[in-house]
Amino acid sequence: MFLARIDGTVVPAAKHATLEGCRFLVAQRLEADGSAGAEPLVLIDLLGAASGSTVLVSTDGDIARERYGNTTPGRMVVMGIVDPVQGTGRAA
Amino acid sequence: MRLGIVRGHVTLTPAVPELLGLTLVVLEPVTMANLRAKNGLGGGKSLVAVDALGAARGQMVAFTEGTEAANPFWPNRAPVDAYCTLIVDSITTGKS
Repeated sequence: MFLARIDGTVVPAAKHATLEGCRFLVAQRLEADGSAGAEPLVLIDLLGAASGSTVLVSTDGDIARERYGNTTPGRMVVMGIVDPVQGTGRAA
Repeated sequence: MRLGIVRGHVTLTPAVPELLGLTLVVLEPVTMANLRAKNGLGGGKSLVAVDALGAARGQMVAFTEGTEAANPFWPNRAPVDAYCTLIVDSITTGKS
């Protein structure tokens, strides 16, 4: 699991059939010093994370398989939104 | 998932049976700087992924890596570690 900052939303033109109705976000992975990763990531969001917020991401596809079936390629799912008050001070 | 731009297609002759009939695309991963600049450039190290969505050259896709990339072939197994999960229509980035 790792922390990531939400940068925006992805509108799909087509997607795997198991992921119908999912919300997709663009995010950047955060390092311990608060710097952001060089490559954007696309996350599946179940919680309604807003742009600019810091989230916890799991790269295990188990929760995606549970919700969307065994044939889903979904992998990176937002597991929670970091409370900025209890975060590192750099969150939000 | 990471984002990548389709740069071409791969045809295998011959291939292992598990890959016969699949469409393979060459992807160039997109860096955050290039995504923000909307310049059509990638910048990452290219890789090959399975595409069942019909992505065309120049289109941006989000691709899954790792064992989850073989999930669409369940209950069969496939020697696949990258899979195009969605084709991007548009991306809206807010504050950085």
